[in-house]
Amino acid sequence: MTTASVTNTEQYNYEVIRKFAIMTLVWGVVGMLVGVYIASELAFPALNFDIPYITFGRLRPVHTGAVIFGFGGSALFATSYYIVQRTCQARLFSSGLANFTFWGWQTIIVLAALGDVLGYSQGREYAEMEWPIDLLIEVVWVAYLVLFVGTLMKRKQPHIYVANWFYLAFILATALLHTFNNLAVPVSLFSMKSYSLFSGAQDAMTQWWYGHNAVGFFLTAAFLGMMYYFVPKQAGRPIYSYRLSVLHFWALIFLYMWAGAHHLHWTAIPDWTSTLAATFSIMLLLPSWGGMVNGILTLSGAWEKMRTDPVIRFLIVSLSFYGMSTFEGPVMSLKDVNALSHYTDWTIGHVHSGALGWVAMVTFGSFYHLIPKLWNTKMFSNRLINVHFWLATIGILLYITAMWISGIMQGLMWRAFDDFGNLQYAFIESVAAAHNLYIMRAVGGLFFLSGMVLMCYNMYKTIKSGSTEQQA
Amino acid sequence: MEWLMWFTKFENTKPLSLVIFFALFCGVIVYLYGNKQRGAQLESFKNIPLQDDEI
Amino acid sequence: MKHDKIERNVGILIILTMLAISAGGLVEIVPLFFIKETVEKVDGVRPYSPLELRGRDIYIREGCYLCHSQMIRPFRDEALRYGHYSLAAESKYDHPFQWGSKRTGPDLARVGGKYSNDWQTQHLTAPRSLVSQSVMPNYPWLSKTDLDYADIQDRMRALRVTGVPYSTSQAEYDKNVKEFGEETAKNLHIPDAEKNLIAQAQAGNFDTNPDKLTEMDALVSYLQMLGTLVDFRKYDDDYFAKFR
Repeated sequence: MTTASVTNTEQYNYEVIRKFAIMTLVWGVVGMLVGVYIASELAFPALNFDIPYITFGRLRPVHTGAVIFGFGGSALFATSYYIVQRTCQARLFSSGLANFTFWGWQTIIVLAALGDVLGYSQGREYAEMEWPIDLLIEVVWVAYLVLFVGTLMKRKQPHIYVANWFYLAFILATALLHTFNNLAVPVSLFSMKSYSLFSGAQDAMTQWWYGHNAVGFFLTAAFLGMMYYFVPKQAGRPIYSYRLSVLHFWALIFLYMWAGAHHLHWTAIPDWTSTLAATFSIMLLLPSWGGMVNGILTLSGAWEKMRTDPVIRFLIVSLSFYGMSTFEGPVMSLKDVNALSHYTDWTIGHVHSGALGWVAMVTFGSFYHLIPKLWNTKMFSNRLINVHFWLATIGILLYITAMWISGIMQGLMWRAFDDFGNLQYAFIESVAAAHNLYIMRAVGGLFFLSGMVLMCYNMYKTIKSGSTEQQA
Repeated sequence: MEWLMWFTKFENTKPLSLVIFFALFCGVIVYLYGNKQRGAQLESFKNIPLQDDEI
Repeated sequence: MKHDKIERNVGILIILTMLAISAGGLVEIVPLFFIKETVEKVDGVRPYSPLELRGRDIYIREGCYLCHSQMIRPFRDEALRYGHYSLAAESKYDHPFQWGSKRTGPDLARVGGKYSNDWQTQHLTAPRSLVSQSVMPNYPWLSKTDLDYADIQDRMRALRVTGVPYSTSQAEYDKNVKEFGEETAKNLHIPDAEKNLIAQAQAGNFDTNPDKLTEMDALVSYLQMLGTLVDFRKYDDDYFAKFR
């Protein structure tokens, strides 16, 4: 009978964080499994089995939706609720709202996947969800914003810790991007089909403003927030420079929004937008590396832990990949490099060195710290964390190496001329040449997926040994 | 209202926005690094995540 | 008093963040909606006929844009492989745009007329029967599934709201006749959509099976008109360069 009152007087709301944390693991496995499957479809098209629902074109949005919004999104909900409560020393101001964001968000991911499989698509990358799902996202997102800001407002700590700034920017930017990129006219009230409000070049600009900043804010700014809390916690020492974190925060959120048009180099948009975007993409290197340097220097006092603590290893490798892919990005935004890299697998490799190397690795590191805390226990096995680390690292290396080679090869083959000034290769020759690399990519993905499954087992054993009662 | 037309020309607004944003950026740097006392106070906030276990 | 100040701080943080993240989008995207030079003035570009529109819907449904681009860049190799580089005007009725970002398969911006209906139907049904090394999925259900065009008028009306000049009244129809010619204007008239759709499918016989009106008819009719609207012999390249 006393349980109810105990729950209410608990210092922090961990219940909703536990739920999001578990769903992060579930969507991680689902999303990566679909990823490995569609990678295999490209190597062995027979795997499409002539079934409409599992063809590459329909499963690809299931993959991106499940990993970005399911895995990444749930991880961000979990960690943002954890960090905002602990750095504000305040409980989430509404448990009802918190639960609403949980059930709302999970419903969205399931509906989005169903919609993709059934062929309801807006035809925009990473925004395939049709208008009814978009409206639901809008509602859940506003609830998230209200809950986050409301909790910040009742904080006991006078200063708002910088990790929360990153999360706040991510919530605001995502609201802005989602709203404007999904402006559409439904065919009718009872139809899942809609047509985007904008067309052609304007529509392309809007979509890549969205697409690029989904990476910039959903997959970068928010995960930097995660980094700014869990790296100091796990290293046991404060962030290297607080002022650097503030400086690169403002520079990062300002510069990111200008760079989207580098996805549209050499297309039918005005040259000046393209040039402007390339310029800002180069400048973006500085704040990106500001964050990386800040994280690495924080860990640099804990080098000896690199040998003993596999969690630290995850974090340092994630920061390294972050630094690597934020260098690769500006290089690819140069118009001459882009002329070669665009439309090829190089882009896919770049995305995955960011998504697997940075986003997933920093999430793994943070979760190995977070989950034992949520269940008042220790990790079941440090050895398994270590195995996970190596599976993930080898997987990423196989994946991005395969994509670099096939990407550059495609770019070169497409533009090759013979001695008479004719095209040297038919398009299909570039497809055939990529076959072995597609197999290598799928194997890399399989490595990464098995690491993820191992993590789930480790977490399952950990959670079973823990308890959800909060210490006083 | 005629003066508003000045803003519609890219030749004018590009350098203008460059000046504004650069000034803002310098402002942030001066705010962060210009004053030792404020700097020390800002740096003290980095301990917030490490304090939470004691409370 | 203290609480006031704290509240204000969150508020200020939100406002400053919003300002910082809005600037880029405003400067880069908003002008495109107002600068007329963004889109070239060329003859020939017209909205999709009802049948082509349904074909385009199927193209989007199957996620074709994830492996095929529709945007030829101004390079010599692309000119040889695909044809004249794409103009913004050519996708001005595309809601949404389908430029794509990846070429797992070749660009399709000017695929129209390059292959016969026969070839397209066979290739969509079983790509490897024609191109042995292709990795494209088979789409056998397209020529087995009857085309659903029950809501074609709703679809055209929704597009009309976004600004596509499909006509509902005599006055709008007359305006289309003036702009696109009578042949095209007929196809843009919403009340006649079903009639026009059936007529185009029968005349074109896109799926090579004259007895059935299938999804294959719609998709192939769309593919066969891609990139064919502008007659590039009428313009010299300096003209298009002005708009870039």
